[in-house]
Amino acid sequence: MKKRIISMLLCVVMTATMVAGCGSKKTDSGSSADTATSGEKITFMVPDWGVPTDDQLKEFTDETGIDVEIAEVGWDDIREKLATGASAGKAVADVVEVDWSWVGEFEAADWLEPLEVSDEDKTDIPTIETFTINDKVLAMPYTNDYRLSFYNTKQFEKAGITEEPQTWNDVLEDCRKLKSTGTVEYPFALSLNAEEKTSTCLMWLAYTMNGVVWNDDGTLNKDSAMEALEYMDTLVKEELVAPEDKTSSGMDAYKRICGGTASFLTGPTSFVSRSTNPEECSVIGEITPILVPGKDAKATETMALPEAIGVTKASKNKEAAKKFVEWYTSADMQERLNETNSAIPTRNSVLEKLIQDGKIENAGAMLEEAKLISSPFPNGVPSYYAEMSSAMYNAINKMALGTYTPEQAYEEMASATEKLAKE
Amino acid sequence: MSAQQTAESTNTMKKKILPYLLLTPMILIMGVLVYYPILATFSYSLKKWKLTAPADIHFIGLKNYIDILQSESFWYSMENTLFILVMVVVFTTICGCMVAMFLNIDVRGSGILMALSILPWALPPYVNGVLWKFVFFSGYGFLNKLLLGMGLISHPIEFLSARWTLLLVVSIVVIWRSTPFMALVCLAGRRSIPSQIYEAARGDGATRTATFRYITAPLMLPFVGVGLTSTSVTAINVFDEIVSLSGYSDLGKNILMESYLTTFEFLNFGKGAAMTYLVMFCALILGVLYLRSLNKEVEY
Repeated sequence: MKKRIISMLLCVVMTATMVAGCGSKKTDSGSSADTATSGEKITFMVPDWGVPTDDQLKEFTDETGIDVEIAEVGWDDIREKLATGASAGKAVADVVEVDWSWVGEFEAADWLEPLEVSDEDKTDIPTIETFTINDKVLAMPYTNDYRLSFYNTKQFEKAGITEEPQTWNDVLEDCRKLKSTGTVEYPFALSLNAEEKTSTCLMWLAYTMNGVVWNDDGTLNKDSAMEALEYMDTLVKEELVAPEDKTSSGMDAYKRICGGTASFLTGPTSFVSRSTNPEECSVIGEITPILVPGKDAKATETMALPEAIGVTKASKNKEAAKKFVEWYTSADMQERLNETNSAIPTRNSVLEKLIQDGKIENAGAMLEEAKLISSPFPNGVPSYYAEMSSAMYNAINKMALGTYTPEQAYEEMASATEKLAKE
Repeated sequence: MSAQQTAESTNTMKKKILPYLLLTPMILIMGVLVYYPILATFSYSLKKWKLTAPADIHFIGLKNYIDILQSESFWYSMENTLFILVMVVVFTTICGCMVAMFLNIDVRGSGILMALSILPWALPPYVNGVLWKFVFFSGYGFLNKLLLGMGLISHPIEFLSARWTLLLVVSIVVIWRSTPFMALVCLAGRRSIPSQIYEAARGDGATRTATFRYITAPLMLPFVGVGLTSTSVTAINVFDEIVSLSGYSDLGKNILMESYLTTFEFLNFGKGAAMTYLVMFCALILGVLYLRSLNKEVEY
């Protein structure tokens, strides 16, 4: 009898424990939407490089009375978490990171709350264009990244090249000379691995060559894309890019310029600071940031790949969240985030100030290029961007590996893009 | 009805109900955590459900399955999966049995040897992949340096740039990780064979080959079966190693990666769920084999 009672008790305890475990508990550590109902606490989901310091957060709390809980999440995981939460109608956070490449699908899925932005801010932050769909600003850019060119002046001089390249043909000729003189074996740093950076390589190359990547109906512009693909193919065939660039990460390919194994790069603006950091660069003082080359002269536009923050539609504390976005992307905070997080400002006014104050060293053409930022997407980033980009980078990677000709690579990505655009 | 009859009837009822009550927690746990997700996933697989089109979620029957089975990408991934499966199963079994035989030899420090042999199994799959990437990397990989240093090649071999060499490398990495489990299972099987059987065989004048063929092999077979089926499931579910070696490239993707990309990269939950069901179906076939091998009777 005693055994039976114990068994029954155990049974009840187990069931109760399981039921309790499956239940949800509304506490401070629960979903942000619940906590935000108090009107005083919001959650901010952001990768490590966007986390403000405790002092900065305290100032915001003192100023507004809003507490901010930071949810530091890996960049890759944010989109996945947001998607999973949103599919269940939950807000994983009140304020979330929004990468430029996600904005199309976030808009289509109706996950973001439109923000009110002044015309003054729109002029000062050209990358807002990327986050504007149907005249609605869905996120505010907080850290900048746009394509800027870099070249190793010492290596160029050693190869007998005295002038900075103005056009993509100049770059090709210079790279040939760098290789033939034995100065650098693989002078062009280019991402060719099957990953996102490879898609963007084609985009900025086509965009800076011809000022167009996509047609108004969302399909690829054949002439521009083919010209860019053929240029990339020439670089691969003439072994001007390193064989490992086809399989190593795009960032590793870019970093070759800091290691002195590449002489030319068109890449992220973060290489301005990397090129002066002794921990990351072995050729300090040799790398100069220049305007991106174009077809007949320097390109008149460049592509930006910024990161922004937006307010989730399912947030229950939208007003507090919007206040935070406004504070976090203000000119003052951008200046401070550059100091504490090395974030490159999205406001041209702040960028100019930091360069003038000497806080950004070796800036070169950084500011001049920032003024040329514009979006290559005529109708905004499409909702099917991830799938389209996957088709693009796989086709380019196959071309780099010799499986496809530029025509075949184009056909594969064009048919995938067309199919997606029709859907 | 007498009081005694009433008490007996209550007792009988209690005896009938008690087992169900005791099973209730486990049934609930299994129901909530296993069966409900399986059924929910099946219902998703019958819908057009793309997260980026929340207004267009509706029932489409088996269309997702038909689309998947008609897609070239799926069959490409299936070929890759089968290649890895065959390579991993064959070589893990051979290597696992050999390692088990060596570990069965009683020498000084055999405990340390056993602990060392388990190490690859303990490594997280992604770390395992990264370690091997250093070996096979085309630019500065250890193997290329070695071959170049020995003068056997004049240019680095791009192991990770061609489909079949990449799949071969993936298979090697998975074999490296799954061999210890197979070895442990085989070792357990080998040690469960009573020594008296070997003594009797020796008494009857059996040769070493005959002893292995008629005693060791058949008695170890159920254990090998367990290891083999577990290895097969591992080979179907390879993910981290492929990602660490070649990223999300089309080149080496298997059906699990195809399912991941569809669901979480392209946010197509309907098609992703259908693909998950197909992966589960493949694993289920092997799971049945696993269960059958457990119940197999051995004659020797």
